[in-house]
Amino acid sequence: MTQKTFILEPDNRSNLVATFRLAQRAPMVLQKQSHAEENFPDTFVHNGKEAEDYGAIERLLFSCLQSGDDKSASCFIEQLAGRFDTLDEKVTGLKGLFEEATAEDHSSLEQYLRRYDLLLSKNPVNLPILKRRIALLRSLSRPVEAISSLVNLLDAVPTDAEAWCELADLYQSQGMNSQAAFCLEEALLIVPNAWNVLALLGEILYSSAFSSDSEGSCQLLERSIQYFCRSVELCTDYLRGFYGLVLATSLLGENRRLRGYSQDHPPPRKTNTSTSVAHNIDPLAAFARNKLDEIVRRRSSEHKLWEFDQSELIAAKELLDRLDSSNK
Amino acid sequence: MALQGVEQTILRDPALFYWIVFPITVVMILTGILRHYATVLMNNPPKPASTLAESRERLGLFRGVNLRNNAHAVLSKESFEMRKNYLISAYQNGAFLKDPERRGQPPANPMTDPAGMEAMMGMMKGNMMMMIPQTLIMSWINAFFSGFVILKLPFPLTIRFKSMLQSGVMTRDLDVRWVSSLSWYFLNLFGLQSVFGFILGSDNAANHMAQQMNPAAGINPFQPGQDPDKMYQNEAENLEVMEHFCILDGVEERVMQHYAGHVSY
Repeated sequence: MTQKTFILEPDNRSNLVATFRLAQRAPMVLQKQSHAEENFPDTFVHNGKEAEDYGAIERLLFSCLQSGDDKSASCFIEQLAGRFDTLDEKVTGLKGLFEEATAEDHSSLEQYLRRYDLLLSKNPVNLPILKRRIALLRSLSRPVEAISSLVNLLDAVPTDAEAWCELADLYQSQGMNSQAAFCLEEALLIVPNAWNVLALLGEILYSSAFSSDSEGSCQLLERSIQYFCRSVELCTDYLRGFYGLVLATSLLGENRRLRGYSQDHPPPRKTNTSTSVAHNIDPLAAFARNKLDEIVRRRSSEHKLWEFDQSELIAAKELLDRLDSSNK
Repeated sequence: MALQGVEQTILRDPALFYWIVFPITVVMILTGILRHYATVLMNNPPKPASTLAESRERLGLFRGVNLRNNAHAVLSKESFEMRKNYLISAYQNGAFLKDPERRGQPPANPMTDPAGMEAMMGMMKGNMMMMIPQTLIMSWINAFFSGFVILKLPFPLTIRFKSMLQSGVMTRDLDVRWVSSLSWYFLNLFGLQSVFGFILGSDNAANHMAQQMNPAAGINPFQPGQDPDKMYQNEAENLEVMEHFCILDGVEERVMQHYAGHVSY
């Protein structure tokens, strides 16, 4: 039972430790399945499987691929192909993923790309293959083509939040921050309460504040702070959100001081969009630091529970140390 | 009847219970299960869009709906106005339509349009699945069990229930508490939903599977015979009257106040 719940937990693909642990269970799961099929008639086992079991298989497949267990991965793909037809769109997409992951050289990747084009010429709305093609273009380091095909895809399927996020990531990798921010806003219109996307948007606004002039950068920072605030409002101990809030508030406060505005006289604004940020910058910075400090301390003491997020924790600690030393 | 202070008694063979109430109930449950599986087998999932333009026509409407529902949680004033103007003009110009040249023409007759025909067939199949077994069982009960009084309810009822509980038995003086076989059938027909829910799990267990494999493609907001252009015009009007407000204004104060009340979580 515990094993099952572990597999069914929502996946966190950026979390390598958890992925690895999950993948280590794959041979065990496969073995258990073969036992079950020996004990019961074949059809019975297949009928008993629920939708969530196949979701679990899919997730196991992803973690196996990530941790290099190709043998188990191909077993899982066979299972999925056995249940849903081999020609099913999603199964072909997963198969493509597997082939790309195990491809040996550049030329075979090119070959897969041509095969995807062929598949798409038969059925232009084969979404899994469309997405695989874009991912493949990206891994072949042809981001411009990837972006243009992703834009085409989103023109046809504008309700796909993940695709919008991917496009934002692509734009950001090309240094086009305002486009990336637009894409994340679109994604947020579909999933308005996703605190990680809100924090991501805050991060993009924060990083684009560096590349604009001082007036514009203040405005961008204020918006960034708003998104970080909204993110931590939705998730009360979101480390990344607080981290961003600390960074953005300290930078904005510094900018203010550099330009000679005191706390009591906020700068005159052309647009009075976000005056509350201007008034509250110092208390907000102090609040965010306290909160970040508290989270870091709590998570360090409960080491076991937060084992998976050590890198974030270390980064947060380092930020706090840096701020402390600069204040002294 | 309780009013008269006289308990009405009817001498019944106790075997009636085993030979009528029991069979009717069992048959009703079995047909319910059979119907469920038959529907699952006959049901074909809605056809996914076959071209990118068609997909855009279907999903374009959701952009407006999403903007209307969620803009206040995300967008600043400028980006909201920008999106609103873009969507309104796109809706009004028919930019999302599958074939913009056919705008304004009356929609295809669902009887001649193959896609519409298919959807109608689907609906018809569903209705048939309900109708045919019901007619069969109803006539079966009428042929074998009509006119039997089979149960006595243990609680008194008002006279209005007579038509509900004693259909098929035309006696004016019979106490309302007696239930006829035909009425037992009707009670089963409408009252077994929770039993089916218990036996079959959630009703659509099988349909979920098909949708899970392909969630985005199957959605189609348009009924057959509906003109997408009209719906877009409608949505444009809805968007036009929208006022912008944003919950991000003052979020900092709200967050600080919120956390001030709670020392730690």
